[in-house]
Amino acid sequence: MPDANTPIDQLADSHLAELPAHARERLARMRGTQAKRGLFTSDLSVNEFLLVKDAGFEAAGLVMGSSIYHVGYQRGRWTKNEEMTKLTQALYHARELAMARLEEEAQLLGADGVIGVRLDVKRHAWGDDLLEFMAVGTAIYHKDGVSHRTHEDKPFTSDLSGQDFWTLLRSGYRPVGLVMGNCVYHVAHQGLGTWVSQIGKNCEMPNFTQALYDARELAMERMQAEAMALKGEGVVGTVIEEKTHGGWDSHIIEFFAIGTAVVPTSADHRIVTPQLVLTVNE
Amino acid sequence: MSGYTSDLSIDEAILLEEIGFEPLSFVLGSSFFHIGYTLASWSKSEEMPKLTSAMQEARASAMRRLVDQARAVGADGIVGVRMDVDHREHHAEFVVMGTAVKAPSPAWRVDGAPFTSDLSGQDFWALVRAGYRPRSLVVGSCVYHVAHQGLGQWLNKLGNNCEMTNFTQALYDAREIAMERMQAEAERASATGIVGVKVKEGSYGWHSHIIEFLAIGTSIAATGAPGEHEPIAPMLSAS
Repeated sequence: MPDANTPIDQLADSHLAELPAHARERLARMRGTQAKRGLFTSDLSVNEFLLVKDAGFEAAGLVMGSSIYHVGYQRGRWTKNEEMTKLTQALYHARELAMARLEEEAQLLGADGVIGVRLDVKRHAWGDDLLEFMAVGTAIYHKDGVSHRTHEDKPFTSDLSGQDFWTLLRSGYRPVGLVMGNCVYHVAHQGLGTWVSQIGKNCEMPNFTQALYDARELAMERMQAEAMALKGEGVVGTVIEEKTHGGWDSHIIEFFAIGTAVVPTSADHRIVTPQLVLTVNE
Repeated sequence: MSGYTSDLSIDEAILLEEIGFEPLSFVLGSSFFHIGYTLASWSKSEEMPKLTSAMQEARASAMRRLVDQARAVGADGIVGVRMDVDHREHHAEFVVMGTAVKAPSPAWRVDGAPFTSDLSGQDFWALVRAGYRPRSLVVGSCVYHVAHQGLGQWLNKLGNNCEMTNFTQALYDAREIAMERMQAEAERASATGIVGVKVKEGSYGWHSHIIEFLAIGTSIAATGAPGEHEPIAPMLSAS
């Protein structure tokens, strides 16, 4: 039985045989011929579009990946703080599948990477235990063909906005990959005795603190491990979210850490002195 | 500028003026649409072409009316177009609105008709200054029926972690179709790209297995010769 730490390629899974035919068709039209690319699509705002251009990149096309996943059942023991490994694994695997498809789409576009990746979870009315994970972003390529792909020669992914991407490149760094880690944790219920002894008093709840602390640390640790595998120097823009999915017991919580791993492109990180701006906007 | 109406903010109005555009009138188009009923086969994932074309048609006629209004006031384009759906039990009203503008030259029109775009005044300004122009608001839609799963399949999965490949495939396919249609629309408008794409989904009182996917964005083209863009000068700001 694989646990939450099982590498993703060792999981028995039901990969889609390939991307849908319409995806290939759409991407082929944007890829165009070797000499000339077709029309690009992107969810970049105008400012992002212009900044990406200024950084020396061109939009290749909007790419996405999705996976609808049946999340298995696991019961937390009433009085025990513990990770729900089956749930952790399900939610991680589903995200990984969506991301892998997004990367495959970027690969078909011959892109250097994908920026502005958003990873959303959706529920449809077809069942509480079904979750849809969807990743969307804009694939970009370098104007002069300078490769910005990862050390495994795959397109990089990143949740940085066009503005952040521009600033990062300006300061001598580049993104290598969107990294994530998660942990679904069951927080123990407290016994009646503890509850009674605490009535009306100020006191820390050490078991609750410990549980949530532990769960967050596990999620961050996993994210960190992903960044190290990508040979990143560090992770920027990490967000830790607390989530509950589809009718879970209130004592079961998912912690999800996501950020972008970066590497330096030069030893010198001279940052242009920022201008002080007083905006007239509200 | 004399007595015009618009839903532009102060900043937007000033920015438009700065690049030589003049707001003319607030324009609106709408279309009331009866949501028909089509039977889908229980165990098959497929597009519902009748519903797709009804939705497309409703949106297109609202847009047509918007453009007609703009044309009537002699506009060269419409900025800040918003598309809203007011959904009732068996009907839906599609409303599009925006501000019709006069461009510095009639060359801004697309095949003689005013250009359309959902860009804000600020975005429009940045785009024009960088040497691009919007062509048209492009939309692609696909109404899709997602197959139900058999009881056997359902029992099989009870308590297990696994991907629902048929559901994944269905929604994936439907989104790609919507995006592909949007792309084709932009190609017809001889644009070079689309910015600000949003992919939305909605079920308009249909069965929960019938979903509409909608892709929407503004197609753009370079104003001058290809590769000839005004360089932008971004700066870091501390605010």
